Amino acid sequence: MSLTSNRRPRRGAFTATTLALTSAFVLAACSAGSGSGSATSSGASGTPQSGGTLTWGVETEPVTLNPQLNGQDKTKLLLRNSYEQLLARQDDGTFVPWLASAYKVSDDELTYTFTVRDGVTFWDGKALDASAVVTNINQQIDPEYNPYGAGGPLSHLASATATDATTVTLVLKEKYAPFLDYIGSLPLISPDAFGKADVQAGGPDVAGTGPFVLESYSKGQSLDFTKNPDYDWAPATATHQGAPYLDALTYRFLPESSVRLGALQSGQVDVIEGVPGTQAAQFQKTDKFTYLTALNTGTPYSLYFNTLASPTSDQKVREAFRDAVDLDAILQSVYAGQRTRAWSAVSPQDPNFYDKSLEGSYGNDVKKANALLDEAGWTGRDADGYRTKDGKRLTISDYQAQPYVRDQRDTLLQAIQAQVKQNAGIDFDVQLVDTGVAGQHQKAKDYGTYDNSNTNPDGVDIEYHWLPNDKGGFINLSNASDPQLLTWLTAAQQTTDVAARSESYSDLQKFVITEKAYSFPLYEPADQIAAQAKVHGVGFRTYYQLPESAYDVWLSR
Amino acid sequence: MTALDTQAAPTVDAPLAPTVDAAPSRARVGGRTGTPGVVGRRLLGTVLVLWASVTVAFVALQLAPGSAVDALVPPTVRTPEALAAVTAEWGLDRPLVQQYGDYVVRLLHGDLGTSYQLHRPVIDVIGSQMGPTVQLATAGLGVAVLLAVILAVSTAGRPWASRIAGGAELAIVSIPEFWLGIVLLFVFSFSLGWFPVAGAGGVSSLVLPAVALGLGLVGLISQVLREGVERSLEQPYTLSVRARGVSETGLRLRHSLRHASLPVVTLLGWLVGGLLGGVIIVEQVFGRPGIGVVALQAAQARDLPVVLGIALLSALVYVTVNTAVDLLALLIDPRLRSRS
Repeated sequence: MSLTSNRRPRRGAFTATTLALTSAFVLAACSAGSGSGSATSSGASGTPQSGGTLTWGVETEPVTLNPQLNGQDKTKLLLRNSYEQLLARQDDGTFVPWLASAYKVSDDELTYTFTVRDGVTFWDGKALDASAVVTNINQQIDPEYNPYGAGGPLSHLASATATDATTVTLVLKEKYAPFLDYIGSLPLISPDAFGKADVQAGGPDVAGTGPFVLESYSKGQSLDFTKNPDYDWAPATATHQGAPYLDALTYRFLPESSVRLGALQSGQVDVIEGVPGTQAAQFQKTDKFTYLTALNTGTPYSLYFNTLASPTSDQKVREAFRDAVDLDAILQSVYAGQRTRAWSAVSPQDPNFYDKSLEGSYGNDVKKANALLDEAGWTGRDADGYRTKDGKRLTISDYQAQPYVRDQRDTLLQAIQAQVKQNAGIDFDVQLVDTGVAGQHQKAKDYGTYDNSNTNPDGVDIEYHWLPNDKGGFINLSNASDPQLLTWLTAAQQTTDVAARSESYSDLQKFVITEKAYSFPLYEPADQIAAQAKVHGVGFRTYYQLPESAYDVWLSR
Repeated sequence: MTALDTQAAPTVDAPLAPTVDAAPSRARVGGRTGTPGVVGRRLLGTVLVLWASVTVAFVALQLAPGSAVDALVPPTVRTPEALAAVTAEWGLDRPLVQQYGDYVVRLLHGDLGTSYQLHRPVIDVIGSQMGPTVQLATAGLGVAVLLAVILAVSTAGRPWASRIAGGAELAIVSIPEFWLGIVLLFVFSFSLGWFPVAGAGGVSSLVLPAVALGLGLVGLISQVLREGVERSLEQPYTLSVRARGVSETGLRLRHSLRHASLPVVTLLGWLVGGLLGGVIIVEQVFGRPGIGVVALQAAQARDLPVVLGIALLSALVYVTVNTAVDLLALLIDPRLRSRS
């Protein structure tokens, strides 16, 4: 924010940014080679100092500021400044108290009891007690307020009661292992907020308990917070207790990555999130900036082969496609070595369910790919060099929904397209379409592959992808319906024993990735944070690995 | 005058704002301004344009692939119950004709409805974003007109200068606003630090976005303007003005420019209609609030009430600007006043 940092990087910065700009637009597919740095929190060198204002440039603007109705992972870092939850999760997956000072799960895993922490107040003055928590839970299943709540994890809930002023008792209809994660991370808002006219849009009227008070929102521009001086209930996962260090906090919406980067380099913002792989090096190789990256949780960015339509209904074709790709080389050239290859249906970030044995167990075998396609009868060749069978070209279509294309995923699929053509004569037909068209193809199930990633941790991601379409497999994009899948998933759902769940999920992952080739994991999506050197304490949320709020952040002067 | 009318005729790229009364109506207004008949006809035309733009936008959204409910409900919560709840919440199960009819009836009562996506009244959503966009569009147009006048007046009738200016204009017109905006930011904000990157605070944050938006229009306006100035310089009256000893600059600014500005004013009428497209991109690049960003998000999310509200607004702006253009034309060219 100082004038010196504004002016100093003149010529040098211009050359660097020009280079960065050129590389972003022109050399997207050219490799620049550099090591990838990774850490979970910026150096907390020195003693934290209170005071100051932080400006943070972010890519994504919240559709709604109501944390209970907002499903955008990318905006959680903003909303977590103001809204908190019953439990926090440590990196090893265990739960620690937050707004609940204690919790207990009964032996039959059907009754969950939470003790609400004493002395917590929402910024509208309302105290947090058991009935406030119950009101929050009950509102989620009211379709007038939240049309999506009743169908989710709360469909397993039989009753929610405030048994005394500080005790919440939840009874489930049947065992459901991911329930604790869901209920423990439900952001709580003031019970008075539900009566406000703009509760669904959210904003300053919807009070939370967080370290920062949501002060004002300027749509398309910024979101402003001020310090909540009474705050004194941080979870153990935070690095300090008591009031936040910063006096005020502004998030600026800068959707263009090159603009975000330039704003950081010129000192107009202090921190940014979202750094393209090709541009990470300029922040890594200097002590003027801190650069942090963390792999997302959930399922990596993968291609799902449609098992209901030809030619991907043929396992040989699915395996051949996968084997025809030299994924390491492609990732190196598209992301300049800044992205991690995926092997499993779960992120390596997941301490419990990542199946390491899948690493290196398949792929990159051009000879085998061609042999498989010959066996499958795709022996002809047309004028363009593509394989044919009975005069029909071997075409596998993928409809990428344009508004959701990020992190150069269009370039990635184009690189794969070129390789499968060259290596195996497969016509991988990647089309950039609008959301409506992509949705239509998804409904009609007439695509060859569908590309997707999702960040739900704790096995919920696996359920979304591999349960039958009508039983909670909302994004079962391979349309796989083998009975084993349901057996493994039900077994894993109905126990909280991590080892037993892990075994079920491991069997499932081997089945869908190596044995049946239903999905082809490509790379692990990651979040990046780059900050001026004077900014300390930025980092990622424990376990979930999304950028964390500004509670622990402080500025050195 | 025929040359002027062909300048006014192109209806170009304003699908949401039919140009019903751009060119022909000027001839109509040409009679006596202010007579009740003319005003009445003008008002009726306005209502028709507004109705047509809302209707076209409504039909276009219905024809687009995919369903509104699917766009609203995130994939991982797409249970039959959730779909039913959202459908019921917005009345999307009513027959289309009824949805359209209900919308028009509410519109007549001044109710633009509530945004599906933002859960806020459309009038608030648009109202809160109007200011920054009006500022940006006005400033962008101002930059364009100023630069175009300077370029055209100084180079008209000077073969080499016109050729160089013409080339530069063509080059700038061909640069996408997106790219132009980013280049401007890198040079004047990130490297030189003269202007802040973004925001709607103060004049300094308006400069770069206005230049990015305006530069694209300079070429168009100055080409028309230069041609007009050149034509005017060939007219016999130019000779008599020169004979009176008026300086070259005085001649160009006071006489030629006035003659040349009529087609430009008409051109501006429809440029304003097309300005929304540029505004969307410039707002996105500079992280500015405004109607453009709202329009983009609404179209992507198939947020019908917001899209219709913006269609209505752009039609209204278009009609207003063109009425102003017609009146301005009368002011500039006295011959129009006596004709008809």
